[in-house]
Amino acid sequence: MKLLKPSWVNHNGKPIFSVDIHPDGTKFATGGQGEDSGKVVIWNMAPVLREEDERNENIPKLLCQMDNHLACVNCVRWSNNGLYLASGGDDKLVMVWKRAAFIGPSTVFGSSSKLANVEQWRCVMILRNHTGDVMDVAWSPHDVWLASCSVDNTIVIWNARKFPEIVMTLKGHTGLVKGLTWDPVGKYIASQADDRSLKVWRTMDWQLETNITKPFSECGGTTHVLRLSWSPDGQYLVSAHAMNNSGPTAQIIERDGWKTNMDFVGHRKAVTVVKFNPKIFKKKQKNGSTPKPSCPYCCCAVGSKDRSLSVWLTSLKRPLVVIHDLFDKSIMDITWTLNGLGLLVCSMDGTVAFLDFSQDELGDPLNEEEKNAIHQNIYGKSLAITMESQLSSTIIENPEMLKYQQERQGNQNPNEAQGIGPENQTPKLTNVLNGESLEDIRKNLLKKQVETRTADGRRRITPLCIAQLDTAGTAAVNSIGMKSNLLLTSASKIEPMKALDSRFTERSKAMPGVTSVPLTIGITPLDRVKDSSSVKEPKGKDETSSDSEDKIMVKSIAKRKGEMEGAEVVEKRKKGRPRKDAKTMPFPQVTFLLSKDPSRLTTPIAVLKLPTPSIQKSFSTQVSTDGVTYLEVENEVSVVSGSRLSQLKWSREGREWDVLLPSRIIIAAGSSNVVAVACEDRTLSVFTACGRRLIPSIILPVPMSALHCSGHFVMALTASAMLSVWDVQKQTALVKNESLNPILSGTDATVSQSFLTQQGVAVVSLSNGKTYCFNSSLETWNLIADKQDSLVQCTDFRNCVSAQDALGSMGPLALTQGRNLSAGRLASRLSSTPHHLQQGMTLAFLEKQLSSALILLSASEYRHWLLIYARFLVNEGEAVREGQCHCSQG
Amino acid sequence: MAEVQVLNVAVLDNPSPFGNPFQFEVTFECMEDLPEDLEWKIIYVGSAESEEYDQTLDSVLVGPIPAGRHMFVFQADAPNTGLIPESDAVGVTVVLITCTYRGQEFIRIGYYVNNEYTDTELRENPPLKPDYGQLQRNILASNPRVTRFHINWEGCAEKMEDSENVDPAPNAMLSPSCTPGKAPPLGLVPDNSMNCL
Repeated sequence: MKLLKPSWVNHNGKPIFSVDIHPDGTKFATGGQGEDSGKVVIWNMAPVLREEDERNENIPKLLCQMDNHLACVNCVRWSNNGLYLASGGDDKLVMVWKRAAFIGPSTVFGSSSKLANVEQWRCVMILRNHTGDVMDVAWSPHDVWLASCSVDNTIVIWNARKFPEIVMTLKGHTGLVKGLTWDPVGKYIASQADDRSLKVWRTMDWQLETNITKPFSECGGTTHVLRLSWSPDGQYLVSAHAMNNSGPTAQIIERDGWKTNMDFVGHRKAVTVVKFNPKIFKKKQKNGSTPKPSCPYCCCAVGSKDRSLSVWLTSLKRPLVVIHDLFDKSIMDITWTLNGLGLLVCSMDGTVAFLDFSQDELGDPLNEEEKNAIHQNIYGKSLAITMESQLSSTIIENPEMLKYQQERQGNQNPNEAQGIGPENQTPKLTNVLNGESLEDIRKNLLKKQVETRTADGRRRITPLCIAQLDTAGTAAVNSIGMKSNLLLTSASKIEPMKALDSRFTERSKAMPGVTSVPLTIGITPLDRVKDSSSVKEPKGKDETSSDSEDKIMVKSIAKRKGEMEGAEVVEKRKKGRPRKDAKTMPFPQVTFLLSKDPSRLTTPIAVLKLPTPSIQKSFSTQVSTDGVTYLEVENEVSVVSGSRLSQLKWSREGREWDVLLPSRIIIAAGSSNVVAVACEDRTLSVFTACGRRLIPSIILPVPMSALHCSGHFVMALTASAMLSVWDVQKQTALVKNESLNPILSGTDATVSQSFLTQQGVAVVSLSNGKTYCFNSSLETWNLIADKQDSLVQCTDFRNCVSAQDALGSMGPLALTQGRNLSAGRLASRLSSTPHHLQQGMTLAFLEKQLSSALILLSASEYRHWLLIYARFLVNEGEAVREGQCHCSQG
Repeated sequence: MAEVQVLNVAVLDNPSPFGNPFQFEVTFECMEDLPEDLEWKIIYVGSAESEEYDQTLDSVLVGPIPAGRHMFVFQADAPNTGLIPESDAVGVTVVLITCTYRGQEFIRIGYYVNNEYTDTELRENPPLKPDYGQLQRNILASNPRVTRFHINWEGCAEKMEDSENVDPAPNAMLSPSCTPGKAPPLGLVPDNSMNCL
């Protein structure tokens, strides 16, 4: 391992809060405090990687700096395609930058630094919504969304394809949200906040998936950031600052059941940042040795307030390397190079460090194909082929779509390959000078420029356009260098100028009541030079070897060991690293001392078996979004005369109630009107939103698989695949023990999702992409959405959708079908279906939508589709059906 | 959302005799087509002591401005010597270039100007009444001092509610006339970079 501290990467001594390496590895961005604003700087990577490039004066180090943020920049993140840079700061803004308009190096006019901007990055979008400092930003896989979190306790999901559109504001945190990470598969986003919780949200409906509080209960809000990270295989989520036995840890959370049984231990102070290596590794095969089948593993870097950095391989019990005293202040951010062998770390002390590993140390990185194979293994679908058309769910659940996309990807590949070079992505300024050199133009500009008089006699100059923005073509205009003709030599002459200084900053005297303001900022250029030269010298390459560092860590581990008691030490050491899921890594699962006999409750034999959730010690769910309501369950909270009591706690904006139940609670669900809990003893209890028991416990024949509440309706899906829906207010059964047999038999599909609409219609989605609802009046299962439906893929009703329609399309139907309806449009254009055929398909599709919306009792969606249907009929001149449409509208 | 970024100001015909017109070649870039003209002004500070002696040498409208990079030369006559206090004619003063959009000033560029006699004799024994014919004006073009203000590019200078939590540093440098209430943190030119001698 090589270690380097490039002293030239600095913000003039001001803290650097964030660092991110560009996906193409040629540059990286830093964000932090500037002179009197926030600052984003883009640096060249080559001088970091190679010493000869560092010494070569012709190779620029600084590529561009942007002072546009009003206040400190807390986070910079490149989009996955490398086209954009997003930055968030204390000014409550998120800015999106794009490389643009290249005319040649230019300085920021009037800025203290005379360093030229080699690349031009412009702010193309300012995203305003947060009411407090923006702490972290994150691009979703495939750059579909951009998420930002803030001290205003919210997370905003922006539509990255249609800035500044907001997809959703995630509310639920009750403290400053300080870190975000997307699941690499795109199914979830996780956030960590000062409210001692880590929340995982679904991207499907943007609701809370899980709320993890236990490992954070001892944490104080002492860190500036809480940058958590998701492993590249998606199996593990690692938190920033967590506590275990009053020692700081990074908590490992398993995707499977959100279990929190392991953590990274050893740092002496709070963990501020965790960053997984983007690569999955396998063991280096040495020549001669017998190739043993090695399991793939991940690599993770952990930075802490204790100023040290540790790098872990999930295949080792101890950290691979720990580096102490790398910085004078807390580590703030970590970024890996795309090849997984390099790592940049930045610190509050204003410096960055670069670590360079060899393949001998980390292992052989898997290529994308192998990584995809792992993903396919776990999730049954490949990440690499998910494309933009999957807006709602990045997971492809449809083999036809998969094939289509593979074809499409094949066609697109050459373009994409071209697009990778940053030069090609750069929007160009068009030279409009007609071959004249800029110098010639400048000579005659005064004579040539058009000057007119306005009606009121004022001079009006038409400026000469020397370049247009964002059009094709190349610009080859020389830079407009400022000639340095410093004439002032005697120091005495500077003195009287002080009286003039204030004049520079005041606004024009046209404004009344101006008084001069003493100027507080006045550093001479000379001072600045001194400032920057006082920045630390590089600590030198090859300063440390991994061997010696291992020892350091052993010491610190040993020290911690001493602090803990015997039995726990054993457990701690087992917890030291995450293990792969059994599906990917066939080594034995570790059993934990703390494990709470999760599988004691086995599902009774049934023809159809649905999975039942395992019993957790405690869990919580958010049940309503408008008046943020939580249900918290704590099992076996107290033992009274031999019976163990479990507690259900309800809280909404400060108001709360709790009830005790004699059996452990498996599932809890709630709506704004009712709360329902299913217990281990196969009872179902229903309470009002005020905590009063509505009906005596309902006894179920088999354990519960899924439970939903909506309005006054309660839906229960049992492990034997029987569905019941009750209206607890009217005390009637809408659906009585109806079997899922008709929809499940003959397929190997399982229930992937179920929910209850506001109107009490039960909806069940299967893993084969089909979604059904049970119609209680017909007593039938009705197919309302099918992702394999060929009609969906060939419809084209784009002309009939107006902008306002987007709002009306929210509802249960949209939820089941996702927003990938648009995928069909693309397909139709590619496959060039004959028009009349497409027209017919579209009609059939729209009618299907209409009837589905009707059966779901979803009024807004019915209206939405009816409008589209009507417009389509008018556009296509379908007179016969138009009449019918009038009727139905009436 | 519009943004005008001044990329460069070149001082032409410098140094020059005191009576020559000022010439500034301004290069700026605009992110989007601007529906209204920019108004540029050159203000000559006659005396450091008082604003009374400020002279607006000229103001021009610049437009139309499509998105892109543009340049123009702003020429304005030399200051009226009659309005300059005699004691301040020789020595260092300031010339300001300001630009406003929809009545809101978003950039102010200041240069030190040194007026002195070229003749050694006159320099050592300056006449009581300044001889403007012998004075040379030297603009310290290498050290512009640029102050940027946040303005509302979308509308006119209406008051913005969103004024809390603006970073104190930029405000410290604004005059009382541009308290946060009037300086919406909206503009795309939010930096306040300064340059000093």
